[in-house]
Amino acid sequence: MELKASTRALLKEPLVHFLIAGAAVFWLLSGRAPDLGERRIVVDKAVVGAMVERFYGSFHRLPSPDETDGMIRDYVADQVYYREALRLGLDQGDEVVVRRMRRKLESLAVADAETAEPGDTQLQAMIDRDPARYSDDPRTNFEQVYLGADTPDSRAAANAQLTDLRSGKPINAQPAPLPAKLDSAGASDISGLFGDEFTLALRDQPTGQWQGPIASGLGLHLVRVSARAAPSKPSLATVRQRVTNDWRAAAIAKAQAEAYQQMLGGYDVAIELPK
Amino acid sequence: MRKAVVAAILLLGSTALVSGCHKLTKMVGTQTEVKDTAYPERVYWGDTHLHTANSVDAFGFGNRLDPEAALRFASGEEVTSSTGIKAKLSRPLDFLVVTDHAEGLGATKALYDAPRILISDPTLLRWYDLMHEGTKGSLQATAEMLDARAHGKLPAGLNDPAKGAERTHKVWSESLATVDNYNQPGKFTAFFGFEYTLMQGGNNLHRNVIFRDGIDKVSQVDPLDPSSELWPDKLWDYMDAYQAKTGGKVLAIPHNSNLSNGLMFMLTDPNGGPITAEYARRRAAHEPLVEITQIKGDSEAHPFLSPNDEFAGYGTAGWDMNNLLNTQPTKPEDYAGSYVREALKRGLLIEQRTGVNPYKFGVIGSTDAHTSLATADDNNFFGKHPGVEPNPNRATDSFVPGVPVERVGRMNWQSLASGYAAVWATSNSRAALFDAMMRHEVYGSTGPRMTVRFFGGWDFKGDDLKADWVKAGYQRGVPMGGTLKPHGPSTPGNGAPSFIVSALKDPIDGNLDRVQVVKGWVDQAGAAHEKVFNVVWSAMDQRKPVGGKVPAVGDTVDVTKATYTNTIGAPELATVWSDPEFNPGQRAFYYVRVLMIPTPTWVDYDMVKYHLTLDPAITLKQQERGYTSAIWYNPV
Repeated sequence: MELKASTRALLKEPLVHFLIAGAAVFWLLSGRAPDLGERRIVVDKAVVGAMVERFYGSFHRLPSPDETDGMIRDYVADQVYYREALRLGLDQGDEVVVRRMRRKLESLAVADAETAEPGDTQLQAMIDRDPARYSDDPRTNFEQVYLGADTPDSRAAANAQLTDLRSGKPINAQPAPLPAKLDSAGASDISGLFGDEFTLALRDQPTGQWQGPIASGLGLHLVRVSARAAPSKPSLATVRQRVTNDWRAAAIAKAQAEAYQQMLGGYDVAIELPK
Repeated sequence: MRKAVVAAILLLGSTALVSGCHKLTKMVGTQTEVKDTAYPERVYWGDTHLHTANSVDAFGFGNRLDPEAALRFASGEEVTSSTGIKAKLSRPLDFLVVTDHAEGLGATKALYDAPRILISDPTLLRWYDLMHEGTKGSLQATAEMLDARAHGKLPAGLNDPAKGAERTHKVWSESLATVDNYNQPGKFTAFFGFEYTLMQGGNNLHRNVIFRDGIDKVSQVDPLDPSSELWPDKLWDYMDAYQAKTGGKVLAIPHNSNLSNGLMFMLTDPNGGPITAEYARRRAAHEPLVEITQIKGDSEAHPFLSPNDEFAGYGTAGWDMNNLLNTQPTKPEDYAGSYVREALKRGLLIEQRTGVNPYKFGVIGSTDAHTSLATADDNNFFGKHPGVEPNPNRATDSFVPGVPVERVGRMNWQSLASGYAAVWATSNSRAALFDAMMRHEVYGSTGPRMTVRFFGGWDFKGDDLKADWVKAGYQRGVPMGGTLKPHGPSTPGNGAPSFIVSALKDPIDGNLDRVQVVKGWVDQAGAAHEKVFNVVWSAMDQRKPVGGKVPAVGDTVDVTKATYTNTIGAPELATVWSDPEFNPGQRAFYYVRVLMIPTPTWVDYDMVKYHLTLDPAITLKQQERGYTSAIWYNPV
């Protein structure tokens, strides 16, 4: 059977999806949605089947005939009260009902996004949009000597210490629990230890020779960069989980926002604030 | 009959109607190779104690953020809080343990999501309606739930462990899948865990349970519900059974001993008899760590127990009046079983008698936030629960806004923006971090990420600091959490233990005031003692000790602007300290406390941001601190 193009397009709409899903779910709960004034309550196989299934789900056995009768009596009473309440308009202006309805639609709106599996093309596109996010940090090999707090005195002494280091003489470093040598350290690791200011300054230091002093959140340092490696291009294979997490989080947020915007588009909203 | 159906709906948590399908997507990532270093070269920061919307009280308090949001936030992403505020950490954490309450896991959310028409229990119906009314009603409902829990009056529909098992399994399985998706060895470790919310009346005996293993092993068990238990024995049985069944490993961390009314670190066993060697061994093996500081107060030391410690009493005010649920006042004789320093002393006493120390634990800090947001920075603090996320009233609200302080016992300003766990591990992976926790090579901070090293040996000298002292520390001594190697005839040194102590400030926080060594010991008569030694401090030339006390570091805090300057204190403090009062016949422990210079509290940041006028009794500045695990000495 061929579907018309417009019908096919309609079926792709998320709003339509969740309205269909909503109707289906509603039907599951109550047999079918009652019309206002509907006076016939039908307890058919589908209704009883759903009750029995729920019962089995929690007790791992089938209900006895008495228990089934009890559930049916209850169901009928629920329907009577529910329809009478609807007839009387008791759902109107009831904040609890309003919130519940909103929440049902909200969770239906994101149900697809929560279980969808993105294809490689979609994931690759996400990487291509923001490769820096998924690439490794740039890596640096460097040594550092900690000179203590950044004071006029320590700054004044730093140049002589730099000269000593350059000529291979040992100097008096401050004993801090900082590594003297870091291999293949990523920018975020360096920032964690020294703060962002140091990471930025380190980026500008020439390689091969002791340099400094440069300041960190801890004080002053002399540094010698021996090698730098540019960030590797992110490959889908290595960052698949991360990009999938991001894709899903974005898809859920988007589904929620779009569903709301579409529904909102069908309304004129007039806000009249008290003067 | 009707009731059974209602329970079924509630306990299953969701029909297709309610939550739709949830995130049951499987792990798709490739496992990154992580190399372990020969010894721990860097410290990893994390939170071992965080609640999401799956926790029965967190959801009630208004938390709508699931474990995924919690993991994204901890790993450095921006998320929107339950009250609609953009939230991001100044720096990512290295690891996170989502520890939702096993008891009633997902139950409040299930109640909230259930069709109203199917709820017949009048109490549940009341809470249902309150929760749907909005934040205020939700807080009220949760306060009532906690109250009912304290008095053992929770409706069966919410609390029956047998009937709740299925819902628990479902919520747990979903949570495991999410946590696994966010575990990135080498970059960010996501542990599996839960909270075992053990209580006697309102006395807090809570434990966090952390697994070392992957989803293949952990998914073989469900979290354990403590509701009918009074003591942790059943938890230890559960842990043993898990290890036997899977070959995996699991540990437990008690927290908020300060709210246990003396029951957390008792001198006796649960029946009032003396603690046996077997009981002591069992406790120490299952509970290698204790959470020493968190939002609900600090449990290091109390002024009543440590009158000579001028810095005891940080974060104790308000929390030391009553037990957790405010059902019983705390009596002075309860304090000894409620604070960590005293527990370390009691451990020595019990070891003296039985040969085994039940309280030979390391210490960490964590948040216990119920917002899904692991914040412990005073200038970026999201509070204990969504009712006290940033808003102009939270500084002067009660701990549960809308519920009078007489009922909840504390004002919210008494909450601390604390704390984090620091772990010296050989890599950022579940295995390496867990193993470091087992050997107690960890410390706790009230928030600032200060780096602290502590080694104990017999022959450390000041000159060691000029060379590679970390290597020397590991080669010739033991790190924090260890026991001094036995002193034999051929051991070098003068016979007293010596310690390498080194502390470095957080690169984006305040300078350090001082480093102290806290010693506890047992004398020949069998009495326990303690003493705090100032071992290194800033501007030592000017700050000469007077009467055994080091003059205060000063104070640069301007509370009208919520600012401070690093013009006082020092960025790093290091020394080699030898115990001048060492007696080789006396069992002892030593741990380090690092004090930061005074900085503003979160309340002060709020005061400035929201232009508040506050009661002068409210604390606007503080000296934040770090506590290391102890190093123990046993007489030969």
